[in-house]
Amino acid sequence: MNLPMVMIFFVSKLLRYGLFLVFLFLLMNGVKNLGGYTREQIIIFYLIFNIIDTLGQLLFREVYYFRPLVISGNFDMVLTKPFNPLIRVLLGGPDLMDTGVFVILIGMLVYTLSNFVRLDSFLIFYFVLMIINSLLITAAFHISVLAIGILTLSVDHLIMIYRDLSSLMRIPVDIFTNPLRTLLTFIIPIGIMFTFPAKVLFGLLSWQLILISFLFGVVSLFLSLKFWNYSLRQYQSASS
Amino acid sequence: MTFFLWTSIFSQNEIAFGYSKSQMMAYVFSVLIISTFVIAAPSNDNIGGEISNGDLSNYLLKPVNYLKYWLTRDWASKLLNMMFAVGEIGILFIIFRPQLSFTSSPVLLLLGVIACILASLIYYLITKLAVMVSFWMPENTWGLMFLFLVFFEILSGTLFPLDVLPSWGLNLLQFTPFPYMVYFPIEILIGKFGVIETMRILLFSLAWLVVSYFWVNKMWKAGLKTYSAAGR
Repeated sequence: MNLPMVMIFFVSKLLRYGLFLVFLFLLMNGVKNLGGYTREQIIIFYLIFNIIDTLGQLLFREVYYFRPLVISGNFDMVLTKPFNPLIRVLLGGPDLMDTGVFVILIGMLVYTLSNFVRLDSFLIFYFVLMIINSLLITAAFHISVLAIGILTLSVDHLIMIYRDLSSLMRIPVDIFTNPLRTLLTFIIPIGIMFTFPAKVLFGLLSWQLILISFLFGVVSLFLSLKFWNYSLRQYQSASS
Repeated sequence: MTFFLWTSIFSQNEIAFGYSKSQMMAYVFSVLIISTFVIAAPSNDNIGGEISNGDLSNYLLKPVNYLKYWLTRDWASKLLNMMFAVGEIGILFIIFRPQLSFTSSPVLLLLGVIACILASLIYYLITKLAVMVSFWMPENTWGLMFLFLVFFEILSGTLFPLDVLPSWGLNLLQFTPFPYMVYFPIEILIGKFGVIETMRILLFSLAWLVVSYFWVNKMWKAGLKTYSAAGR
């Protein structure tokens, strides 16, 4: 990809985040609070959502190219090499274009937190743990997509569904009413992925919920790995 | 997302940003239908590729107008998408049972439908301008389209009604094509404007349609002069 196009994508992504932030500012100027959260808290939720989302795209971009690999038969080449095929198809093509966006988002988060949130080292420690947990769940989602990709050759639509669902979390999961809130938190755990790290920073998450969310992360990763191994056994190399 | 966002806001306010709850819900549900009607366009995913891999040559040899051909395919796709959208939105409506408020004037309803058709045509032409960059940069068929979609998402009124913006912001946006693609058509349908204001909006829409048509034609002719059927 040439430089002008890289710049267009880079600027477009920043514009997308910036314009939505402007919307949130305007919205929060017109109302006292949103779901019990202040303007600054809503902004922090949104920044953390984007950081996790960008990190997922940065690390797992190769998943987007998995279908052509399978239908062309080139996945056989991946399997025959003495390298873990899952790592190759999951982490083999990080999108470095997102690195710049990621750094800018981190900078914005650090600035906002230092000005509006009183943090201590425990909160920061829990926050980092919750971000790692979000990455575990993101990885589990993507591994499951790869596994389904082997079984059904459908990858793009699943990724689009994942992206559509995750974009719901641009606002805190608490704003959704039940039963959707429970569904988005504990069944499709995007609430845990995108909202819980911010809630930890605000001291709104009990240690029980932190523990449950970690269990979710570890169990979902374990199950997705099992599913991947199962789908590998079903792979018939039909395209070769 | 927007449904729950506004529901949360209206749980504490009777009126927000000049909207009653039923008007806002009508806006949110209309966005689902109108954006399906305006946005569904397989041409955006295909034209760039057909130019860059040389498949365009197959069409140029046939007695059909390439851009009109894709317009008809887009409209077929829109009708199909609308059928699904009506079903999906119907289910959402049954689940959430929102109170909706639309204009009761048949004249305004008709003008709203005309605004939607104009919106769809403007969207088609402007997105063609974005994908035609493939004539000059065949390896990058998606860059400008992505930029356009970023602006479209926020500035067309898909996420929120644009009068949430300060008045100077909305005044400025009126000189861009974005609000004519989602925001104004919906505002007409939910009865925010009278007939005279609606006619003014339709006139602006028409002007954007003519301007986009002019530039698409100009770009198409210039593009064909550079097109070398590379890849065939």
